[in-house]
Amino acid sequence: MIRVDGVSVAYGAVQALRDVSLEAATGAITAVLGANGAGKTTLLRTISGLATPRSGTVSMDEVVLTGKRTEDIVRVGVGHVPEGRGVIAEFTVEENLRLGAMIAPGPLGEALAQQYEWFPVLGERRKQAAATLSGGERQMLAMARALIAGPSVLLLDEPSLGLAPLVTAQLMHTVADLCSTTGLTVILVEQNARSALRIAERAVVLYLGRVVADDEAAVVARDDQLRQYYLGMVE
Amino acid sequence: MSALLTSRNVADLLGGVTNGVIYSLVALSLVLVWRSTRILNFAQGAMAMIATYIGFAILAPSTNYWISMAVAIVAGMVLGGATERVIVRALYGKPEINPVVAMVGFLLVLESVAAAIWSTSSRGLPTPFSMVDWQLNHKPVAMSPFALYEIITAVVVMSIIAVLFEYTKLGLQLRAAAIAPEVSRLLGVRVGRMLTLGWMLSSGVGAITAVLVASNYFTGLTPTTMDGVFAFGFIAAAIGGLDSPVGALVSGVAMGVVLQFVGDYLNSNAIILVALGMLVVSLMLRPNGLFSAERQRRV
Amino acid sequence: MGPVQANQRFVATTVLSVLVVLTSWLGVAAPRDAAALSVAAVIVVIGVSLLTASGFRRDHPVATRAVLSLVTVDVLVAASSFWSATVNSNLAIGAAMSIVLLGLSFLTGSSGQISIGNGAFMGVGAFTVAIWANHHTSTPIAVVLLLAVVAGGLVGLLLGLPATRLRGPYLAGMTLAFAVAFGAILNLFGSWTGGDSGLQLPYAVNAPPWVVHFYSSATSSLTVNSVWLADVAIVTTGVALFFMANLFASRTGRAMRLVRDNDVAAELVGISLPRARVVAFVVSAAYAALGGGLWTIINNAVTPSTYGFALSITILSLVVIGGIGTIPGAIIGGVIYAFSANVISWITAHTGLNPQGNVASQLNGIIFGVLLVVTILFAPMGIAGIVRRWFARRSR
Repeated sequence: MIRVDGVSVAYGAVQALRDVSLEAATGAITAVLGANGAGKTTLLRTISGLATPRSGTVSMDEVVLTGKRTEDIVRVGVGHVPEGRGVIAEFTVEENLRLGAMIAPGPLGEALAQQYEWFPVLGERRKQAAATLSGGERQMLAMARALIAGPSVLLLDEPSLGLAPLVTAQLMHTVADLCSTTGLTVILVEQNARSALRIAERAVVLYLGRVVADDEAAVVARDDQLRQYYLGMVE
Repeated sequence: MSALLTSRNVADLLGGVTNGVIYSLVALSLVLVWRSTRILNFAQGAMAMIATYIGFAILAPSTNYWISMAVAIVAGMVLGGATERVIVRALYGKPEINPVVAMVGFLLVLESVAAAIWSTSSRGLPTPFSMVDWQLNHKPVAMSPFALYEIITAVVVMSIIAVLFEYTKLGLQLRAAAIAPEVSRLLGVRVGRMLTLGWMLSSGVGAITAVLVASNYFTGLTPTTMDGVFAFGFIAAAIGGLDSPVGALVSGVAMGVVLQFVGDYLNSNAIILVALGMLVVSLMLRPNGLFSAERQRRV
Repeated sequence: MGPVQANQRFVATTVLSVLVVLTSWLGVAAPRDAAALSVAAVIVVIGVSLLTASGFRRDHPVATRAVLSLVTVDVLVAASSFWSATVNSNLAIGAAMSIVLLGLSFLTGSSGQISIGNGAFMGVGAFTVAIWANHHTSTPIAVVLLLAVVAGGLVGLLLGLPATRLRGPYLAGMTLAFAVAFGAILNLFGSWTGGDSGLQLPYAVNAPPWVVHFYSSATSSLTVNSVWLADVAIVTTGVALFFMANLFASRTGRAMRLVRDNDVAAELVGISLPRARVVAFVVSAAYAALGGGLWTIINNAVTPSTYGFALSITILSLVVIGGIGTIPGAIIGGVIYAFSANVISWITAHTGLNPQGNVASQLNGIIFGVLLVVTILFAPMGIAGIVRRWFARRSR
């Protein structure tokens, strides 16, 4: 379980997060929704230690993460697939995965085989430079690279960005599958609220750095006001 | 066959390769830190020179050549790591001339301190192999045991670096930290350590280079021994592309050969002028170097 | 500023002028010297009253810079006649160095580039003067110095052409290679440059008769000439300073600062970026050559070893310690250079170092190197930046 408690983050004079608190339950998908600039990416960066909060704490199963370095937070079991995927284009698919597997406990061969089983297309292209992959394949690679380290929490930042609706649907399906089969805790940041709400158990809506809603995904999905004002979902 | 091997052109070629591998090593050393920290280490030569003094001037002159060399390499790596931690770390994210100025300042400090301790007069290093050219039918071939030693050492160093970067877990992390520091941190790579390690490796390569240069009987070791070598090494690195190790190696050797012919057929004083001209022309045609994959900057 | 204040200032400056003239009459024996000093004092008074006049600095920026340069030159020229030959020689060398630093400061301040080869560009000017003077003995100094400027600018253009497309560290490395190569280049053209031994000027640049006329016959010609050389350097520096101040403030100068801050954006605004960069580089090379030309005249000779790599590093150190990218920084750097040798020997004497020893001979490099690293890490705008911040804090 990830607990964010009263976190405020500022970049210079810009307040990105104001007193944000939320919980992401173990083995469930928590969607974090909101428009551009709502503070969604900052929230994930704060959890993984890339951003330092002015106040508040982040903890995972009673272990306080705030104040630790990103490199150490990752080792505790937080996998973060960053905005824009962060695939290293100069590396081959397998090199990207090998890098991700660096902090994995088990033998490399098994870990790779596991990912190739989940994402067969990556196995087919393992010797190719990541630069040659399509957008959807890159997203899979980014996810596989985070998963290969065996995290208990996965932070996904806008996985659907730039993907075709069909690919997005497939991807969301994979995420839901992973979650139910491995007991992974997922925090899914999305601008594409509809597809995220479809697979999430819980949804948190951010607006200008504040939490404006925190409820079951089904409830948020039915709330017309939320949908219109904060999620821009116009029928 | 023997006439060919002793001909003037082949002599130039062999001599050029011998000089060229030295330029390649300096270029490689520069590329190793440029790739990861975007800093052109103007103190590279001076740091290597200090390492060589530590290996060969602090230890008793009777010390075994190879022990001295090992000490120089270790000293170079320690100096490189310390430089990254103390000076370079304070320069990340600063305007790009700040590191230039800082490293030139460091160069001045190192050369002055070396001259203060060991004086500016040249110190001969023991030469581990004969510098007399081999003979073929009583004619000299432009290759001596010492020259071969230089070439083999360069090849070994380059191979070690290549294997380390391409085939090891550590090399994967070093490359990742250089290309995508933030993503690397998210995957658990200790980027700060990788940068320090990159500087250590670079300085280790530098120390070996300086030992090779100073072991040459005709050069010897002075506080400014590496100034000229550094200039050629930089030119090779810039022509090849500061972020391309392969470019560094190829252009270093190519430059050594071209300049050997220039020196032989034109005038030895024209060598560096021609090198400078090659640099100007190549930078105008390809500002990021011949072997670079770097894209032009955009807003 | 109201008319009353302006009046008060006028009265104050008039009183000051009378005082200055009176003290110069009292202090100097020969009426001729006193007359010259009076002229100098009057120039100061007129200059200061203009500069303090209401609105003058705002309405006439170019004239302000001219007056400022003139007053500075006037004071230094007047002062030089009282100083010893040693001080004057230091002053001349330092003033010439200030010109070099002005050029480098402009390069960095306007385009964010740096050169580690300005010692070699100085050498270009120094050798141009010596070579020309050896072939044409009757050319006036001013013309020979102009030739040095042109030669420096041309070599700068040749090397600066890649600057159109280069980013900082590459250009810096290229200038470093030029600095290292300069000795070999001089040797390559040994029949003109005199190879390792360099060149002597075929004649000494001495004070012309109308200047000698001002001095009493008891004054030695050595003193007269040392003053004259200092004055030549001071006047040249004044002219260079005037042009540079205008260049810094000009549209081109401001445009170039935009280039420095963000070159891609500057291109969108419509500034020809490659040209701006090359112009800055050429100006810095030409200024360096002017300084080098002056050195040849002051020393009456030129040796290649003067213009080695070490000089280029010294120039970089001075400009950074003084305050890079600023005019005051360049002047401060020149002053530091003029008197650094004295300071070093003072340190040597007071620490009991063997003046002939290794440590003493390297003290200069160690001190400058450490200062350079410390400055760029902790006070990147140098002394000028520290002073400016201090004033800003005080006036707040």
